[in-house]
Amino acid sequence: MAKGKHGIVTKMNKIRIDDEWSFFALVPALLWQILFLVVPVGLIILLSCVYFVGYTPVVTGSFFAHVFKLAYIRIIIFSLFMGLFTASLSLFIGYPTAYFLAFYVKDWLKNVLLFLLILPFWTNFLIHVYAWFFMLKRDGLLNDFLFSLGFIKEPLHLFNNLFAVSLVMLYCYIPFMVLPLYTVLEKIDPSLLEASQDLGASSSQTFFKVVFPLSIAGVLTGFILVFVPSFGEFVIPLLVGGEKYALVGSVIQYLFLSARDMNLGAAFTCLSSIILLLSIACIYILFNKKIIK
Amino acid sequence: MKNKGLSAYILPCATGALYCFLYIPICILIIFSFNSVAFPSKWVSFSLRWYEALVQDPEIWFVTFNSLIIALSSVFLSLVIGVCFVFYASFKRWRYAISTFYANLMIPEIILAVSLLGLFSFFSVPLSITTVIMGHTVLGLGYVVPIVYTRLQELDKSILEASLDLGASIHQTFFFIVLPFLMPALVVSGLLVFIISLDDFLIAFFCAGPSAQTLSIYVFSMMRIGINPTLNALSTIMLVFSSAIVFVFTLLRSRIRIF
Repeated sequence: MAKGKHGIVTKMNKIRIDDEWSFFALVPALLWQILFLVVPVGLIILLSCVYFVGYTPVVTGSFFAHVFKLAYIRIIIFSLFMGLFTASLSLFIGYPTAYFLAFYVKDWLKNVLLFLLILPFWTNFLIHVYAWFFMLKRDGLLNDFLFSLGFIKEPLHLFNNLFAVSLVMLYCYIPFMVLPLYTVLEKIDPSLLEASQDLGASSSQTFFKVVFPLSIAGVLTGFILVFVPSFGEFVIPLLVGGEKYALVGSVIQYLFLSARDMNLGAAFTCLSSIILLLSIACIYILFNKKIIK
Repeated sequence: MKNKGLSAYILPCATGALYCFLYIPICILIIFSFNSVAFPSKWVSFSLRWYEALVQDPEIWFVTFNSLIIALSSVFLSLVIGVCFVFYASFKRWRYAISTFYANLMIPEIILAVSLLGLFSFFSVPLSITTVIMGHTVLGLGYVVPIVYTRLQELDKSILEASLDLGASIHQTFFFIVLPFLMPALVVSGLLVFIISLDDFLIAFFCAGPSAQTLSIYVFSMMRIGINPTLNALSTIMLVFSSAIVFVFTLLRSRIRIF
């Protein structure tokens, strides 16, 4: 082992770098991570059960007790329901598309379709919500369309209700389902499907016994990617729900920005995060059981 | 494999329906930005008057300027901090330290935003553009560190050894060998952070405060008022801009395969 001029230690095939610069290179990132990720999250956990009188901290359970009210619990349950609903619906609607893209589409068409699928990830999602204003409003295009077909005599109420909220949530989050599904399905060897069919399985058997079990990782990823943001949504119910429907995000936003009550907001954030983590754990267990079956 | 009923009709129809669902509202939004009359009336004639109104609005320029400052600063900060960190940490074999940066993207964004707001108001830091940059850099590190680390893993270690053996200092090695090798990953992750920061709403909404409006917050407050053709024009420009960046991004990605 020889120590070189620049503090470089060469030992067998491994390179190790030991110089005074490594400290300055490593510290900013770690400091940033600690200051703006670990400390804030820790602070929220702390504030949920501690308040300050001057500089003396006082531990109390009253914030959690306050949050454990029926009104708040009801919102959490409603958000769980909305999250599960959006995730399941996007699974059913997104799976055929992912399957089609993975097994049947080739070359340039595939690239174009994938590009169109990735695009919503990188465009402002407020714009996607705004786009539905034109479809759903009272004199919007959906009403016009149904009217011209003669299905309806007078405009339906499509805006500022639960229908609008769930539709726009589905619209915003369905790419998060299709993309992981596609990634997993694409890796499945098509010869497996041929083998299954050659050995006498019907196409539905092939799907449920071969393809679906192999794609379970993608299903799980997509499910969680859709479930988590729809659980914590607050923009969509605010903008297309007419402020009548509150999800977890709406309450967090209300407590922090309107009521300006840090402690209650922190307690509610912690409570809903715990429930979110528990439900993700449940989803994992559920899907894993399916694999074993 | 050949199942005519399913493969020939249902799957393409389902796919087509999904793509229509995804893109018809966007197309209509774009079409209405070129209509000469405001929304409730139908298509009248082609006009660019909303784009003219948009260009003449000083507030739009102000918020765009804010957003660009935030985005460029976050890109710069997360690239510099991230690359230095990855380079040294990977030689020190600090796998765990690197893998903590995956948490930045896994934590729900609203929780990150609220926590940052809690931090800033707890220590009475005034909310401004700076606080938004701090938040976006946290997100940015979550993209830069994993992408750059993945790319660095592909660098042949013997090249580094050769460079060091032949007398180059560690900084020369870094600037003449490692950095050029990492360049595609830097471009890709920089683009990603840029577009994420430009499009981000949640962190800006919670951490910007009343004085520092960003593009997303401006769009949000206009949406709360209702339909406004100027907003269609703005949305169209933002969509075109994002699509162009994604296009460059996908080209680069297929060229260098870093994922």
